[in-house]
Amino acid sequence: MQEAAKPMEALSPDRARLEALITGVAAGDRDALGQLYGAARGAVYAMAVGLVKNAHEAQDVTQDTFVRIWDCAGQYRPGGSPMGWILTVARNLALMRLRRDARVQTMDEAAWDAIPADAPGVTAEDRAVLQTALESLTDRERQIVLLHAASGLKHREIGQLLDLPLATVLSKYHRALKKLRVLLEGDDAK
Amino acid sequence: MTERELQERLKSALDHAAPDDLDAVLSRCGAEKGNVIDLNGTTAARRRKRPRARSLIAACLALALLGGGGGAFYQRAYAVASVVSLDVNPSIELKVNRSEKVLSCAGLNAEAAAVLADMDGGRDLKGAKLDVAVNAIVGALVRNGYLDRLDSAILISVEDRDTARGARLQQELVASVDGVLQSAENTASVLSQNVAADAGLNSRAQKNNISTGKAHLIDRTLALNGDLSFDELAALSVEELRDLLQTGAPGMPIGQDAALRAALDFAGLSETDCTAYEVDPELDERTPCYEVELFVNGRETEYGVDAYTSQVIRGEPLPAVTAPALPRSDTPAVTEADAEALALADAGLQDADAITTRSDYDDGRLRYEVTFFAGGCAYEYEIDAATGTIVGSDRDRDPRAAQTVSTPEPTGDVGGDAAVAAALDHAGLAEGQVSRLKCEQDRDDGRIEYEIEFTCDGYEYEYTIDAATGAILDHERDWDD
Repeated sequence: MQEAAKPMEALSPDRARLEALITGVAAGDRDALGQLYGAARGAVYAMAVGLVKNAHEAQDVTQDTFVRIWDCAGQYRPGGSPMGWILTVARNLALMRLRRDARVQTMDEAAWDAIPADAPGVTAEDRAVLQTALESLTDRERQIVLLHAASGLKHREIGQLLDLPLATVLSKYHRALKKLRVLLEGDDAK
Repeated sequence: MTERELQERLKSALDHAAPDDLDAVLSRCGAEKGNVIDLNGTTAARRRKRPRARSLIAACLALALLGGGGGAFYQRAYAVASVVSLDVNPSIELKVNRSEKVLSCAGLNAEAAAVLADMDGGRDLKGAKLDVAVNAIVGALVRNGYLDRLDSAILISVEDRDTARGARLQQELVASVDGVLQSAENTASVLSQNVAADAGLNSRAQKNNISTGKAHLIDRTLALNGDLSFDELAALSVEELRDLLQTGAPGMPIGQDAALRAALDFAGLSETDCTAYEVDPELDERTPCYEVELFVNGRETEYGVDAYTSQVIRGEPLPAVTAPALPRSDTPAVTEADAEALALADAGLQDADAITTRSDYDDGRLRYEVTFFAGGCAYEYEIDAATGTIVGSDRDRDPRAAQTVSTPEPTGDVGGDAAVAAALDHAGLAEGQVSRLKCEQDRDDGRIEYEIEFTCDGYEYEYTIDAATGAILDHERDWDD
């Protein structure tokens, strides 16, 4: 089956690039790690914040993920989904952190508002859209919407990553987008 | 705002909010990569990590093997004063002199040899201070994925004729190893124990290629259940032995290899189908089991294998993965039009709005994704292009309906019992078969609905039923994790 999937993977320049970068990281190439960081940090952060629901913790998980990738890039098997693999690393680290803390922090406004203070690039619009996504969506909806927006993964791949049927991903995705649109356009109307 | 605009806003916000501090990442990579290597003067050859994590140990006991062990005392500098062993599944033994310099370092089993490969099989550690050597070994264990899991465990054993020195060494090593693990943000715990060696301990350990510290753990397990075999227990990891001790050693677990085989057989896979796998002993759970995670085509699937019977108690086969790949062809057996007709027929419709069909490859198979709207609902189908099989479908409220400002007041109510009956009927289940059945009335878009949830055979079902008509507005079946 993997053989059959390979020609498809080879067609995607993004995948080929990510795969080449992971191979470089496995060989100890720090420049490759830098490029991989630039290409995937948004998606890793999306996975992390969707799970740990805390801005600072998610930033820590993001950094840990790339350190872990540096350590275990040799574990990646070419021909798979490089972004899926990266996000699996991020997911495992986020879940480990949750288990270590033995609690799921509720995402209160104060915690979320801490992001703009730390990240000068975050605009008021960014804050509004992310805050709405964090506060109004269920855990699964949030994960699916953020991952789809940031990672470029298809719904099918998100389903594989989160171990959900495609139909569930699609249905939650559409429901979540509908909710977000209603909330955000309501805000705009004011 | 269109869907695309909303997505772009989200992406932009995430890019801005995500940390952008490559230097911090690189600084940690450099330090962690160099630690072990530089101290021991070996080259920084990267090794492919074995994806299979093993165990680490809990709680700090103190292992001081008193007397016995070591060897003859001849010249002071070369005389073995202490024997320190580190066990996870790899078993590594260090012999040190009175100045706490390493005289020899040996991997006692094949896994240990792999961990020590970067250190010339342990010879590079000769002459190093004991704490430096132990740090190097723990670093190598971490890099090889042995201490990744929360419940992993490492056992430190110190064997010394001098009781006070043995106790001090043990205390220092536990603190040192704990420090290494903490700095690597590793949550594995450190186990040590007090042991009085007996005459047979060393020979039993040597016969099974394990350390005397692990041999002592096995002796303690045998004391709980004399029907078990020392040789079979020797093949278990320290984590498994710890769990056995904690649970009264009710029987002989099947072991991680057998658990992996059971999961692979159940999934219809061979080891080579997996990009990676991980086996996690959970012998201290109410139903003792091995959790086996298989990574196939970027997808992670988890299985629970009963630790004593090899029965798979959680998980499902992967027919889509094991089915033979069909050759890709320019003229699939089922056309887009066929797929749309199949989807419409399944939905019981003659026609629908905004029918869109995309083709995509999934695991090498061409699939059509058909979406359309009808009767206030949005439909999505995934159809195999070779066979016309509907491999996934979903019906949800038409998201475009949110645009409508007013909706008529709902009339009529079929009642919660009828709503539950409709959901169970759709799921093909009887009320007696399901558990955690919940039924709540809710109001959404001016309509009264029943939200119904229940679980059965490890699956969680969710239904939304229109209270006025009893129609199923939305349903999902999900693995209940």
